[in-house]
Amino acid sequence: MRWKTVSAIFFLVVLYLIIGATVFKALEQPYESAQKLAILAEKLKFLTMHPCVNSSELENLVKQVVSAVRAGVNPSGSLSNQTSLWDLSSSFFFAGTVITTIGFGNISPHTEGGQIFCIVYALLGIPLFGFLLAGVGDQLGTIFGKGIAKVEKMIVKWKVSQTKIRVISTLLFILFGCLIFVALPAVIFKHIEGWSTLDSIYFVVITLTTIGFGDFVAGEKGLEYLDYYKPVVWFWILVGLAYFAAVLSMIGDWFRVISKKTKEEVGEFRAHAAEWTANVSAEFKETRRRLSVDIYDKFQRAASIKRKLSSELGINTSMNQEMTPGKRTLSANLCEDREPYPNLTLSLSPVPGALTRNGSLYLNGLSPDYADRREIAIIENLK
Amino acid sequence: MRSLGKSWLLLTGFVLFYIIYLLFGALVFSSIERPVEEKLRHDMDLLREEFLNQSCVNAASLERFLVRVLKAHKYGVSVLRNSSETSNWDLASSMFFANTLVTTVGYGHTTPLSDAGKAFSIFYALMGVPFTMLVLTACVQRLMYPLVLAPVSLLQRSGLEPRPATMVHFLLLLLLVVLCFFLAPAAVFSVVEMSWTFLDGIYFCFISLCTIGLGDFVPATQPGQRYRALYQVGVMVYLFVGLMMMYLLLRSFHKMADLHGLTTFLQLPRCEESDPDEDREPIVDDEPRQPLPKDQAASKPLDPASQPSYNSINKG
Repeated sequence: MRWKTVSAIFFLVVLYLIIGATVFKALEQPYESAQKLAILAEKLKFLTMHPCVNSSELENLVKQVVSAVRAGVNPSGSLSNQTSLWDLSSSFFFAGTVITTIGFGNISPHTEGGQIFCIVYALLGIPLFGFLLAGVGDQLGTIFGKGIAKVEKMIVKWKVSQTKIRVISTLLFILFGCLIFVALPAVIFKHIEGWSTLDSIYFVVITLTTIGFGDFVAGEKGLEYLDYYKPVVWFWILVGLAYFAAVLSMIGDWFRVISKKTKEEVGEFRAHAAEWTANVSAEFKETRRRLSVDIYDKFQRAASIKRKLSSELGINTSMNQEMTPGKRTLSANLCEDREPYPNLTLSLSPVPGALTRNGSLYLNGLSPDYADRREIAIIENLK
Repeated sequence: MRSLGKSWLLLTGFVLFYIIYLLFGALVFSSIERPVEEKLRHDMDLLREEFLNQSCVNAASLERFLVRVLKAHKYGVSVLRNSSETSNWDLASSMFFANTLVTTVGYGHTTPLSDAGKAFSIFYALMGVPFTMLVLTACVQRLMYPLVLAPVSLLQRSGLEPRPATMVHFLLLLLLVVLCFFLAPAAVFSVVEMSWTFLDGIYFCFISLCTIGLGDFVPATQPGQRYRALYQVGVMVYLFVGLMMMYLLLRSFHKMADLHGLTTFLQLPRCEESDPDEDREPIVDDEPRQPLPKDQAASKPLDPASQPSYNSINKG
């Protein structure tokens, strides 16, 4: 891509970010202020209700609690009924979020050893997962392609155009995939996790695009999960990622095609318009020139043929008004035959490339040497 | 038929290996982190006991209070005194958030609270993520020539064979990227951010540039940060350029793997020689572009060593 295109797209992205920023700010800041007020009110209420606690002690406690929660330890509740965040299944889940680059962040390593190991682990794991995803995407594509081929065979019987088939297959792909990978899991999450519909869809989209904020995480709450819940979630993430990769690259392709097509179309349109105007003006000029030359030519020819006729038939040139009906029709025919000639003389001259390309050669369907032959034939007949 | 069977075999092999890898990671993380967690939990219990003993607060009201505080904290709203001035949704922070959304890093230190915000995030991400990937790949394509192809040809002209030349170049590029995008920024972060160590800086750089984005370390979130807006913009620029360099690295690795026959051995799509032809590419005919993932996987090679998503945008 040329630098111009790249910088244009870059500015578009920056613009997109700025637009997003303003919209987010407008949507979220009021809520944030409301939350702040609410929590400060809580704090004041707590302090007034329990006058033996002073503000700084409370601050201290809150700081410690917050940093503990960041480390994953929830100080509410007692010690016994808490599951560890680093038991085997949760660690497995965490490893999965690292490798898929989703990175929820509800669990994260806090020891130095954990951080170093995380770096090394991700370095090896991300390409590995990339291979896996490529393979899964491939298989998914083949399965879907076969299904589409069958459907296309059916549709072809209805004599629908190729374009429509492609469009239908795209739509089918998107619809089907959305149903299996977005709608169904959203419903399941809504029931099992107790989220609202919007929250479930939000979680699905944020996870499958690998953004992974971590404000909603499946399997985080201490609910009674079925044994196979987490592995099924992991499997869904794998296949859903492949599907989302396909959809997002399709959107990217559309962007590309649209930008290219628009560029091409605009360029083509401009080129065509320029060409057309050039053709028309060239033709005009040529026509005018040829006509003026031709008229002179015709006049000369007419004059010479008349002279010949008059010399042969003994007609006085000064008395050319008196013609016998036969000679009049003859001269009329002669004049008639010269009607097509103006066009012919046009094509006789070496025209510029544009004119020939537009096929003005074929405007009349007559070839150049036809005129000469006809003229000669007439003159021969006269003799 | 044999190749089909072979590809299925390879796929199951990958899946098995992947599961084993995950299990291994789980074991190691568990054994490293769990003792520390236990200790922290124990400390918190002691803290609670201490607090409750010396004050008139009963356990229930403390619980209630703490739950509210933590819930607010999850959304980035803090109850501490000196953090009440800075908002998480002023223009620069919102832009930072939009950036993390669009590059799929997704720290999660601030998340949309309102329903409208969540709905908007969904659409914004669905449009913005492929858009960003397009930009990144476009930039990388332009950078391929001066940063990869020209040096490799230079190396070749100075006498090296093609294969070692690509390897030497790749190692040099790797060294350069690590120096400029991991070590140097980590040093800067460890100085600017009060509570980060050098290792924390490197950890943050790595987690961000791989777009994992756990969110345990996020710059510019300390209360009382000076020049916060400028700092955030700087981090955004760093993220963008860093992502570009990572893509470049992966692409040159892919080319090198191609040359060494790794990709054909693993039956993965090759890197297409599409750089100079990008502009002269035949325009799609009147039909809409074949969107089937099968065609995508076959014709537009998925870069296996790159991000697991949006590979097929990365043409070659």
